[in-house]
Amino acid sequence: MATSMRTASIRLLSKTIRNFSSKAAAERFVCKRSLQPALTRTICVAPAAFLHTGHVSRTQTPSITVTDEPDTLFQKLTVLVKGHDRAVLDSYEFFATMAARELGLTLGKVFEPPKNIERLTLLKSVHIFKKHRVQYEMRTHFRCIEISRITGSTARVYLEYIQRNLPEGVAMVVTKTAVVKVPEHIQMPMWGEQSQEEKTSP
Amino acid sequence: MASSTFCPVLLPLRRINCNLNKICTLVSLNRTAAYSTGLPINNGAERQDRGRSGQRRQKKIMETRTEKMAVDQDWTAVYPTAASFKPGSVPLPVRMGYPVNRGVPPAKKGNLELIKIPNFLHLTPLAIRKHCEALKPFCTEWPAALDSDAKCEEHFPIQMQNKDYVFAGPSLRNPDARIVRLTVKLSSLNLDEHARKKMIKLSGERYNKDTDTLTITTDSCPLKQQNYDYAMYLLTVLYHESWKTEAWEKEKTRADMEEYVWEDSPSQKNVLETLLRMHPLGEKQQQQEEEEVREELLGRKEVQEYKDSITKLKNEGETESNMQKYKEAVKKLLSI
Repeated sequence: MATSMRTASIRLLSKTIRNFSSKAAAERFVCKRSLQPALTRTICVAPAAFLHTGHVSRTQTPSITVTDEPDTLFQKLTVLVKGHDRAVLDSYEFFATMAARELGLTLGKVFEPPKNIERLTLLKSVHIFKKHRVQYEMRTHFRCIEISRITGSTARVYLEYIQRNLPEGVAMVVTKTAVVKVPEHIQMPMWGEQSQEEKTSP
Repeated sequence: MASSTFCPVLLPLRRINCNLNKICTLVSLNRTAAYSTGLPINNGAERQDRGRSGQRRQKKIMETRTEKMAVDQDWTAVYPTAASFKPGSVPLPVRMGYPVNRGVPPAKKGNLELIKIPNFLHLTPLAIRKHCEALKPFCTEWPAALDSDAKCEEHFPIQMQNKDYVFAGPSLRNPDARIVRLTVKLSSLNLDEHARKKMIKLSGERYNKDTDTLTITTDSCPLKQQNYDYAMYLLTVLYHESWKTEAWEKEKTRADMEEYVWEDSPSQKNVLETLLRMHPLGEKQQQQEEEEVREELLGRKEVQEYKDSITKLKNEGETESNMQKYKEAVKKLLSI
């Protein structure tokens, strides 16, 4: 029953993303330059080698190590995202649910807890004018995605992917419920012989 | 005045120059500028051209990237990672903002609202699919045998819950992340009657009678791993201590009992007295010892029924069915 854990070097994951971003950055920078072709005589023209063709050429194949260490099992994984903008959370929910479906995870409930509005009433002026105030409010919208029955490796992969693509101004709380076997030292009482003796004696 | 200014930084200098020379010359500035902006430096030849004909200027209008895009292009190459909204790179006629003077929302060119809001242009369904394909080798499968919660509980009775926080702030650490909650059902542990009762007494508030779960929440240590170890240690200690029988446990009184026990209770004595009075002892019975008489009386079916109904009433509380059973039992006992 013990599933082996894949020590995914998340470094590799970050590497691919870094490759993506560095290539994109190079391409963007280069493109900016190439926008003024006729005027640039002194600045070097973008060489064709740097133009992004859309393929990701990996310099090395990523190595996945599979160890015999038993993988943690999570009965439930709850991802709660909080933000000030409901539209952003809508898009994020679409992204997170699609990612879960593509990775083959069992989605539980996806729901929207009621928003929380914090209101403040402050004085409008720096000095005196008590009757004139100004009111502010801060709205926090929530979105909850529940995933049931997921292994530790998959959870790490999914959470890292989700968290790296978390938009600015959005916070996340992840509640993990792991299931564990009863450890060996709790299976039998330490003083097993004593209790047996007491049972036999009236 | 030449409108094709590429370096807004030099604008104030330009104005100064105009005031001095009373001629608006842009190019002289660009030549003498000490900034290396990487932007094109106008040559003298071009300046003269521009002066002659305005038509040439129109040819140099920049084409945005959107005009050069193919319909079937690879969008993941345009927005591979999270980036701000670029009106020249997104070929959509997006409008955002408040319609001033009952007009329309402003267009995307130079629209700050579109830049401010986080966009998901790098996470189109195709991009997500590509990413997930790349991530699949790192995932493991859930064991197929544990497809329901009941089976999980059966094989893995202990549940450990903890929370992780992702947010931006002056510090990225949240002290609540160290809290660990251990939940276990006592029925899944190897306990006998005495051990079970003692464990419940030792846990106190942490035990929930309705769901038969013991919850241990630890937050005294600064690290999550430490709290996890501490919770397991507490469970171990509870378990082993509950199997021990101390000397002072013999002095357990009726008030310490968790549930009602009919033996040696006032109810039992009352029943015996009542029965003895109802059916006065015959000669044969008087010769027998008291204990045997008692045993005989208690062994009767009506008495057993009465005992059951009383125990249920005391332990479970007063419900319709319990009261009915009590009524029936009393009727039979007193042969009404």
